[in-house]
Formats: sequence, structure tokens, C-alpha cells
Amino acid sequence: MVTLEKIAHLAEECRFDSLGPVQSTAVVDVDTEKLRNLGEGTRHDVCASTFSPREEPLPGICHAFTQDGRCVSLFKTLYTNHCTHQCSYCTNAANCSNKSRAFSYTPEELARITLSLYRSNFIEGLFLSSGAGRDEDHVTERMVETVRLLRQKHAFSGYIHLKVLPGCSRAHIQEAIELADRVSINLEAASASHMSEICATKSYENDILQRQRYIRDILCIAKNSKAILPAGQTTQLVVGAAGESDEEIFKRVLYEYKEIGVKRAYYSAFSPQRGTPFENRKAQPLWREHRLYQMDWLFRVYHFKPGEICHAFNENGFLCNADPKMAIAREFMDKPLDPNTAAFRELLRVPGIGPKSAQKIVAFRKRQPIVAKAELAAMGIRIKRAGPFLKINGWRDTTLEMWQA
Amino acid sequence: MKIPDNFLYYLSLHENCNERLLARAGNLTPEVVEVCIHPEVARIKKMVYAVLGETHRMKAFVRLQPLGARVLYGFFKPRHRIGEHVCDTLARRNAGIIVVLGNGSDSWISLCREGRIWRNHSGGMAIALEKLKTAMHCSEDGPSEDRSSVEGLWQVYYDSQYCPERKNPAAFHRHMPRRDQDSAGLRLVQNKRNATLEDFLSEG
Repeated sequence: MVTLEKIAHLAEECRFDSLGPVQSTAVVDVDTEKLRNLGEGTRHDVCASTFSPREEPLPGICHAFTQDGRCVSLFKTLYTNHCTHQCSYCTNAANCSNKSRAFSYTPEELARITLSLYRSNFIEGLFLSSGAGRDEDHVTERMVETVRLLRQKHAFSGYIHLKVLPGCSRAHIQEAIELADRVSINLEAASASHMSEICATKSYENDILQRQRYIRDILCIAKNSKAILPAGQTTQLVVGAAGESDEEIFKRVLYEYKEIGVKRAYYSAFSPQRGTPFENRKAQPLWREHRLYQMDWLFRVYHFKPGEICHAFNENGFLCNADPKMAIAREFMDKPLDPNTAAFRELLRVPGIGPKSAQKIVAFRKRQPIVAKAELAAMGIRIKRAGPFLKINGWRDTTLEMWQA
Repeated sequence: MKIPDNFLYYLSLHENCNERLLARAGNLTPEVVEVCIHPEVARIKKMVYAVLGETHRMKAFVRLQPLGARVLYGFFKPRHRIGEHVCDTLARRNAGIIVVLGNGSDSWISLCREGRIWRNHSGGMAIALEKLKTAMHCSEDGPSEDRSSVEGLWQVYYDSQYCPERKNPAAFHRHMPRRDQDSAGLRLVQNKRNATLEDFLSEG
């Protein structure tokens, strides 16, 4: 413990610490109309994680949640809402009749807003997306400039997620990768034919997949240095705008994980926006998004094989509104498991047991055998779901529920 | 959440923790706390989680405002004894700036300089800020204006992120319990996008 006077003196003397003094001049003089419009432009974008191994690993901190239950941890905004693409679901598209005025930030302005929000502990970092402006290279250049100002002039060490615009040059992608924590290109559609239905002005193969490969290749070359793009590359799909099935989405995502090496995929259920060509299409139920995430988790976290996950789709290639893990367990688990002898991988296949629960069971049975379901319940395992698939002491519940379709 | 290796530290910050409980918990390893279902161990686990949970949310919910160029301060009234811990975290994030957290009766002051942390703990925040002000000879003007401008920016941005078609108040309340909002002096209001007459007419 030191006196306040000494602390004050120490603070006044330090000149070399990261962010420098608070700019006490009226931080920003921003047009709130602009802030609102460009903020709304990213409403449907998802970015869950602010986890970045750049420094010590920290779990993502969510500074607030909106009434829809999603977190606000980043300053998520468009650089400009001016766009020449004709994506049929987007309110910023050139062919949307309900467009708002065109706005654009300047790099200095955007950097200052980000800094002042970061300083006051409103946000953990910046998520910068954009319309394509007149041409995507010009806008990307400005976006990279913003990030460079933050990182180099203001020594900003928060999290930065940059969207790479479809079709921008490899040189700009390289610059973005060097400064950001994570970059992503939105796939939007599951295949080239679906893409052509949604948007006539983007080439799926050339504008999107090819740019993802650039990112992969740049990362591959820079493999040795850990500081490059610590949170990797991700992508996002609009679910249900072009009538694609869940199985088609799954196949595309498999390709992304295996060939492109994305860290994870995000799904955003399509909702019709006023004035767009897709205005009269049906909104996708939010549960579809949820089931897709479950499918994604089964592959990525639980390491289920694609051949197994395929059993969760119905004959039309859609997931139904039920836990896909349950459907797969019904198909593949013909004998109940004994939690005292089952391997970790086998435990993971039981509905209601995730990686954490499986770890707990393994740790628990090292000390003493599991003799009752109540013990499992006390560990936090969802007995109602897991019960029918478990047998303890040779006895198990016989419920018809397990065999119901 | 996993029980961290230094769980005894977090346990000691709990409002109901005493020396006896700490001594008994001293014999346990994090793995045992994690899986053992003995009632006393379960209670210890619950207490550690309670402190971890509040710490995590407070790091996110406390808002800071500037006082001059070298001080940031914010209201903070935690249930557990985590004042110093949270204040240190925020000081590390704002290196070279004095961070003051506190309420009417307690205040924590931290400064991170060249990787080292200097601390002070004193009575009410108003007095601590007053003392700092005289020690640093900083003037009164600016801060109040600053606060409203940054907060105004935030409110506009926050409202813009809401998707009415995804409305889910249950999730909102689960993630932002009223109790924790109060601890951080946060009053999160969301100006719901009120339907306008135009919307009504176009729907009809």
C-alpha cells in the first residue's frame, strides 16, 4: 500500500505505457445518425468470441447483452454502408428500395470512437465490416488504415476482428492479417448455385473461396511466428435465404474445416428485410440456427464422424427440431453404457454428457466407483437425458422414450 | 468453468469465508473440489464459483469515466471482497492511468506502471478522488461533459445492435442479473425500437 500522493506522482511521470493519457478534449464529435446506421448494418453478424491468445489466455468478456440475449462485447460496425453488390437479403444492397442515406467513417474518427469506448470499459475490441463502397480495395485500404492507427499510433491491445471484403486483393489481405486478431470472409451461401440465386454480382469461387485460400496460404507461410492472426480465420453463412438444405450446409462447412482450416463457422438465420427482393420470403425459425450449431459442435468439439452426423438429417436433408445427438445415439448406441468402465470417447456419445461431464466422470471413478444415478446428478449430469443410455450395477431404466422416433 | 489452481485465493474473497473453512479447504486439490460430491466440498465449490462469477461479470460491467488525463474512476459495490482484484485488472488494461473503483464507504486505487502494480485502499470514493485531484493539480472542467458524450455514443450503438425479431428477455436477464448490474452501478436501458405509425400502416 502506498499513499495517494505517491501514486499520483508515479502516474504523472509515466510516459511509456501503452495507451497514453486520456484525451480530455471532447473525445468524439460523431453524427449519431451515422453511428446508428452503421451499427445496425452489423446487427445480423455474429461474433461470439473475444478470446485471443495474443497475451495471456482470457475467456471472452461480454460487456453487455441486448434484449435479444446476444452479447455486445465488441464495437461491431460497418465502415461504410455504401455498396455496389446486389445481395437480395441485404438492406445496403444496390437494389434495395428501403436504403438509408450513405454514411462512411474516416479512419481517425473510427479509431477515436473505438478507443474512448474501450477506455471506459464498454467494449473489448473492434469488429469492422463494411459495404463494398465503390470498389472493395479502396474500402479495405481505409479499414486497414483504421486498424493500423489503433495498433501503431495508439498502441491498442484490444481484440480486432476484420471482415475481408469479397474480391479484395491479396496484398490487402496480407496487411489485414498482420494487424488483426481474426479475419473472416462471409460465405453467405452453401454453394455457387445458391450464391447466384442470392447475389448476381459476387463470384463464389473467385471472390470468396479464392480469398479464403489466400488467407490460408499466408498463414501457412507465417506458421512459425505465433503472433500472426492468433484467433485465425472464420466464416459465416446466411441460413435459408436460398432454400438450401442443412445437409448442403454441412457439406460446405466440412470443406471449410478440412481444406480452408477455418476456426469455426457462424450461422445466421435468414430474416426478410423491408425493401429487399427477398422481402416476401419466409423468415427461418431460430431453432434451425440452434440445431446447426449443435451439428457443428458434434463435428468440431465432440469429434463425431461425418458419416455418423449424416444420420441426423431427414430424407430431405434437413435437421428436425430435436437434439441431433439424440438421433445419432438412437442409431448407433445399441447397448447401454456402464459409466464405470466406458472410455472417455464413448461417454461423449451419450446425450446429456458433454466434454466437461465426461471428464468429471473419469476423474470421479478413479477415486470411487459410481454406484447410483444420484451421484451423477450431483456432478451436474443431465440424468433425464442420459439415463436411458446408462447402466449402473447392471441395472438400467427401461424407458420406451429411447426407442421413440 | 473449471476450478482454478489458486482456488483458495478466490475462496478467501468470498463474503462468508472464514479461517476455519479456509484451513479445511487447504487440504483439497482443485480436482477433488471439481468432482467430489461431499456436501462440504460441494459448498466450497459453490463459493468459489460465486466469486469467480461475480469477478468475471464485474470486469465486464464496471464502467469508467475520466477525471483529468491520468485518472479513470467508476462506481463499484461488490458483494464479495473482490474490489482490489477487479481494480488491478482494469489498471493493467489501462497501464499508466490511475484506476479508482469505489462507493460511498470503500474505494480501491490501482496504478500499473512498467508491469508493476501500486495500490491504495481507503474510505469513500468521493474523498479519495478529491485527494487525488489536489495531488495531481487537475482541473474540474471536462470530465462531466466527457462522460455524457461517451455514454451517449454507447447508448446509440447499443440500441442499434438489437434485433427485435430475436427478442429473448429471459436470456437477457440470465446474462445480466439485476443484482450484478446494481453492483457495477449499471442501469442498462434499451430503447426498444418502438413501432412507428408508419410500421402500423404498412402492416395493416
